[in-house]
Amino acid sequence: MTVRPAKAASLARNLAKRRRTYLGGAAGRSQEPEVPCAAVLPGKPGDRNYPEFRPPDRTLGCWATDAAPAAGLCGAGSEPSIAPTSCAAPTCFKAKLHRKRGSQPLDMASALTDRTSRAPSTYTYTSRPRALPCQRSRYRDSLTQPDEEPMHYGNIMYDRRVIRGNTYALQTGPLLGQPDSLELQRQQEARKRALARKQAQEQLRPQTPEPVEGRKHVDVQTELYLEEIADRIIEVDMECQTDAFLDRPPTPLFIPAKTGKDVATQILEGELFDFDLEVKPVLEVLVGKTIEQSLLEVMEEEELANLRASQREYEELRNSERAEVQRLEEQERRHREEKERRKKQQWEIMHKHNETSQKIAARAFAQRYLADLLPSVFGSLRDSGYFYDPIERDIEIGFLPWLMNEVEKTMEYSMVGRTVLDMLIREVVEKRLCMYEHGEDTHQSPEPEDEPGGPGAMTESLEASEFPEQSMSQTRELLLDGDYLQRTTYDRRSSQERKFMEERELLGQDEETAMRKSLGEEELS
Amino acid sequence: MAHSQNSLELPVNINATQITTAYGHRALPKLKEELQSEDLQTRQKALMALCDLMHDPECIYKAMNIGCMENLKALLKDSNSMVRIKTTEVLYITASHSVGRYAFLEHDIVLALSFLLNDPSPVCRGNLYKAYMQLVQVPRGAQEIISKGLISSLVWKLQVEVEEEEFQEFILDTLVLCLQEDATEALGSNVVLVLKQKLLSANQNIRSKAARALLNVSISREGKKQVCHFDVIPILVHLLKDPVEHVKSNAAGALMFATVITEGKYAALEAQAIGPLLELLHSPMTIARLNATKALTMLAEAPEGRKALQTHVPTFRAMEVETYEKPQVAEALQRAARIAISVIEFKP
Repeated sequence: MTVRPAKAASLARNLAKRRRTYLGGAAGRSQEPEVPCAAVLPGKPGDRNYPEFRPPDRTLGCWATDAAPAAGLCGAGSEPSIAPTSCAAPTCFKAKLHRKRGSQPLDMASALTDRTSRAPSTYTYTSRPRALPCQRSRYRDSLTQPDEEPMHYGNIMYDRRVIRGNTYALQTGPLLGQPDSLELQRQQEARKRALARKQAQEQLRPQTPEPVEGRKHVDVQTELYLEEIADRIIEVDMECQTDAFLDRPPTPLFIPAKTGKDVATQILEGELFDFDLEVKPVLEVLVGKTIEQSLLEVMEEEELANLRASQREYEELRNSERAEVQRLEEQERRHREEKERRKKQQWEIMHKHNETSQKIAARAFAQRYLADLLPSVFGSLRDSGYFYDPIERDIEIGFLPWLMNEVEKTMEYSMVGRTVLDMLIREVVEKRLCMYEHGEDTHQSPEPEDEPGGPGAMTESLEASEFPEQSMSQTRELLLDGDYLQRTTYDRRSSQERKFMEERELLGQDEETAMRKSLGEEELS
Repeated sequence: MAHSQNSLELPVNINATQITTAYGHRALPKLKEELQSEDLQTRQKALMALCDLMHDPECIYKAMNIGCMENLKALLKDSNSMVRIKTTEVLYITASHSVGRYAFLEHDIVLALSFLLNDPSPVCRGNLYKAYMQLVQVPRGAQEIISKGLISSLVWKLQVEVEEEEFQEFILDTLVLCLQEDATEALGSNVVLVLKQKLLSANQNIRSKAARALLNVSISREGKKQVCHFDVIPILVHLLKDPVEHVKSNAAGALMFATVITEGKYAALEAQAIGPLLELLHSPMTIARLNATKALTMLAEAPEGRKALQTHVPTFRAMEVETYEKPQVAEALQRAARIAISVIEFKP
């Protein structure tokens, strides 16, 4: 039993196609792209594989009965549910394994079962699916060929494997998939017995008699149509190869099949509404709004234009009036100015006139007033002595002061002389006084005899002779003050002497002038 | 195939540039939050949605109430130019309504906007000028701009913006109205010279607006003096012969004011203004006629002008009798004609 996966695949596809066409109308949604069986074939491990693969011819009947579940199985897209119940499964399976040697070998089935056998066991089977051998003869060669396993097509009602009765009180013995070793042995023995029985029965069954000697039984076809019988199953090699490196095409859009009822409706003209009628209000509003807006704008502009026009008119009139007013104003102004000018002129004339008359009057008066001026001026000048005789003046100014000066000088000289004399006398007297006071020890020295040798001796002698009394009185005064003088310093003396000298001078000045005069007269005479 | 169930996803965003606004009165608060978001895209989208909403004055009022203006002010300083463009657009739209202008004044947006005068993006500046233009339609707005000292920068910008003539028009519009309010500051910034240049521009709108601006400038005494000083009067007289009606009318108006002072009178007489002005009396535009009449009245005050116009007294008499549709205008014209006649026939 060789497995030819390629063949299996091709056959599977055929099968699938057929299946599809069969199920197309009835079942729910079609699923063209998916080849469920083929898809399943590459062996999705975890999925619920099709445990069975029905042989096409034989199990068509089975198929028909199981159309619905089959449909459910292969119709359902991604998850084919195992619609057939567990009961169905074994029956179908049995049907499958109920070998019709003549029937098409289920290569694909074998392939499937092989693959499924390889898959991790998520299922437990009472009867494992297995692939049937490839090169099976079409027909059973002999009836004596025993089955691998005695599979009976039996009534489900009398199947021992089916649990009857209440399930809640069952013994949970060993699982069916993993029977006990004991159980296994018993089963094997039972199987052997069954086999032996069957063999026995077969032998007992009447068979065709043995051929007569010299003859041979030959199988002959007696039907109308001859059939070629061959041992070998006609095998055709079919290959299939997927394109290398072909990308998986994009999943086509899943448009689920339509469900429900199709209902159509048609709106004939005039049934729903009358467009023209309905559109009227809408249009009115639209157009109305637009027009309103535009009217507003236009009215604005018109209003403005009107305003401006009327304004302009008014302005023009006003302007002309203004011009008139200005003209009159101007005229008025001119006249006024003219008047002003004339008035001013007149006023000036008047003014000038007045001024002139005033001037004349003033002039006359002045003349008269000043007529007497000159003689009076001369007179007053003369009176104040502005007209003088120059010689007289000269004498008065020049000569006489000089004369007086000279006289003064002379008198001064005499005064000075007197003063000096006085000083001399005083000193002498003082000394004498001192000497007198200090005692009679000291001699009276003729000191005054020294002193007449001084300058001005002449005058002194003159004065001494003429005025002894005065000098004596003075010396008396001096003597009286002698005590006082003795205590004071020489400066004081000198200051007093100066005072005396001044007195003397005052006293003596007249005398000196008189003296000088007399002298002068004497000299002159 | 369509399903009868409602889809769990959000509805398709039809306009990817705009953020989906909440419904009803939640729209603005939610937008305000989104304006403050960190994500640039969100801010841009929120601004676009706000642009659309701001056309409704009630929305503006509500936005003011919840304090959107502060957000917008902050967004003006954003670094992304798209955000700035959109913000200025929103502000421009806001300024077209009086509530918006009030908001401008309240929240001191003028100053914040003025920082964008030198913005590199021209669209942004364009929006800025438009916003200012709208703002000065009310005198308070014009005062605001003057008080913020923006006139000199606007005058400067007038000279600088040479690429976009439209911008010049906007700036001129703004200036026209500002000058009406108070011309002193502008005179200090040499506006007369700039306007003199613009008088000779190729674009008729610019010419007309520049003449208008000069008109407003010369209302004040100082303006008149400057106008005469800078020899603008000959150009104005030249513009009297311009093919476009409103240019002529504005030029006549400017002359009307400039010739009030003696200097102006003699300048105009030297430039032979009487001829074109007389032609203008027959113009289809009533305003032009009015201006011309007034200008001629001014000129008639000078002895030379009086002499020249004595022959044209009948024209004025005819004008006196004519009738017009609008009673005010008619009255004004008749009065003007009467005054003109009286001035021409004045004997000292």
